[in-house]
Amino acid sequence: MSALSVPFSFNRLALIASNTFLEAVRQKLFNFLLLLAVGLVASAQFFRDFNFGSSELKFIADFGFGALIFFGSALTITATAQLFFSEIENRTALTLLAKPIWRAEFVFGKFLGVFSVIGVFCALTIGLMMALLWHREGQLMAANPEAFEAGRIMRYGDLFIVGVLQWLKFGVLSAIVLLIASFSNTNLYTVVTGFFALVICHLQYLARDSWSNVDSLVLRSVVRLLSFVFPNFQLFNLSDEIGQGAGLDPMLAGRVALYAVVYITVIGGLAVYSFRNREI
Amino acid sequence: MPFALNFLRSARTGLLVAAGLAAAGIALRPLEAPAWEEVRSRQPALRLESIKDALGQGVTVGLLGGFRAIVADFFWIRTNYVWEKYDLPATQTSIKLVTAIDPRPTYFWLNGSRMIAYDMPNWRIDKAGGYDKVPDTVKKRFDQEQSEVAIRYLNEGFGFHPEEPLIRLEIANIYLNRLKDTASAARDYAIAAEHPDAPYYAARIYAELLRKMERNTDAYAYLRTLYAKLPADNPQAMKSVVLERIRELEAELNVALADRFRE
Repeated sequence: MSALSVPFSFNRLALIASNTFLEAVRQKLFNFLLLLAVGLVASAQFFRDFNFGSSELKFIADFGFGALIFFGSALTITATAQLFFSEIENRTALTLLAKPIWRAEFVFGKFLGVFSVIGVFCALTIGLMMALLWHREGQLMAANPEAFEAGRIMRYGDLFIVGVLQWLKFGVLSAIVLLIASFSNTNLYTVVTGFFALVICHLQYLARDSWSNVDSLVLRSVVRLLSFVFPNFQLFNLSDEIGQGAGLDPMLAGRVALYAVVYITVIGGLAVYSFRNREI
Repeated sequence: MPFALNFLRSARTGLLVAAGLAAAGIALRPLEAPAWEEVRSRQPALRLESIKDALGQGVTVGLLGGFRAIVADFFWIRTNYVWEKYDLPATQTSIKLVTAIDPRPTYFWLNGSRMIAYDMPNWRIDKAGGYDKVPDTVKKRFDQEQSEVAIRYLNEGFGFHPEEPLIRLEIANIYLNRLKDTASAARDYAIAAEHPDAPYYAARIYAELLRKMERNTDAYAYLRTLYAKLPADNPQAMKSVVLERIRELEAELNVALADRFRE
């Protein structure tokens, strides 16, 4: 019985996702990276002596988002590649895909599993950072009440929204890694290419800025095409606005979230297409 | 033959995936473009010209990872380390690198420019043989060159902090203290004083410079207007000092009793 003889099932997809999630949280890598990120966020206060420019609360927020983005990116790439290839290397994918299961269910199931793990990671890191900021802001309020006449300075709702947007960005990254894994033969190749993709996505806006300055028509076309092929990860870089001026624009956050969701769907679809053409 | 077929099939898949990604990118551009413009307008650090100095310096990971503030702080410590060694090229490069990584804090712009304008001419004089041996014309040239570098650097800062009064004041200080250019200093103090967040002393210094340039009438008119705007309950406004100077000018200008300023 082929996969196409049965209808697409969200139950099967959810089963694969929950299995992937359980497999991921049992991994030492997840626990290790989570511990590092949480440790770094918690130690932000001890780095205050190195802070010269920005305000203390802004520094803690920047530091927390730094830890989230750095370890979150590492976790997303390695966990996605590892969880995908563990199925291939252990031959469980053969058993699984011999059953009437859509490849789309397999790919999106893997994606949702990883996406949930990253969600837990983001929730813990952001939660800890918010708690730290709340605590420190309380201390500062008690010490300098005149500086906080209008109440708390930090916008905790904005922090939460930026955390959600980072999670969505990791979702796009995870979809890209799945796309790479769908045609790649090794875990290592997928991880390395995933990191390259991360760097390109962060710097693609530079290509967009510079394409008009390129003299060669061919090179200009290539640069322009590159700016279209890769998503713009700097768009998610909204943590700078935390604790500044009017705060985060909800319309902007909504646009960025929609951008991420569409990209996840499109890249996930392309990963399914590529995986369908793959011999296992 | 199977290899050729496999290759063709992989190439077709790859091309279709790339085409799909490009199509998605083009289709999403109307959604992305306004959001990107907004994000970038709020973060001048995301400009090509501001980031190019930092690329290739091993800090890309810091930029990408969001550790911009802490990376800039560590580079600021490094700046101070090379500054202690009077290493002019390294200090100058390091100062620019710090603000390329994180241009948000004005602290880096102000202190970096002070190193360039106030310390570096002395290092150059030392290197050229010391204060006793270097001719005054050469000393003046060093001052001039370093001040120009510092002013250029501070003007770059306006790209990230438009009309920031503290940066404007720093430029004015360099004109006044290093270049002894009273007219240019007065111009910049006046611009800074117009800003609502400017420290009160900017206006007072401007008035003093007008007096120094023998424009007592202008200084008198300016101080009269200034006095009316100063708050009485803020000691930093030094309202009494301003009134004192108004009285001094009235004496110098022989202002008739009837025309004298009344509080």
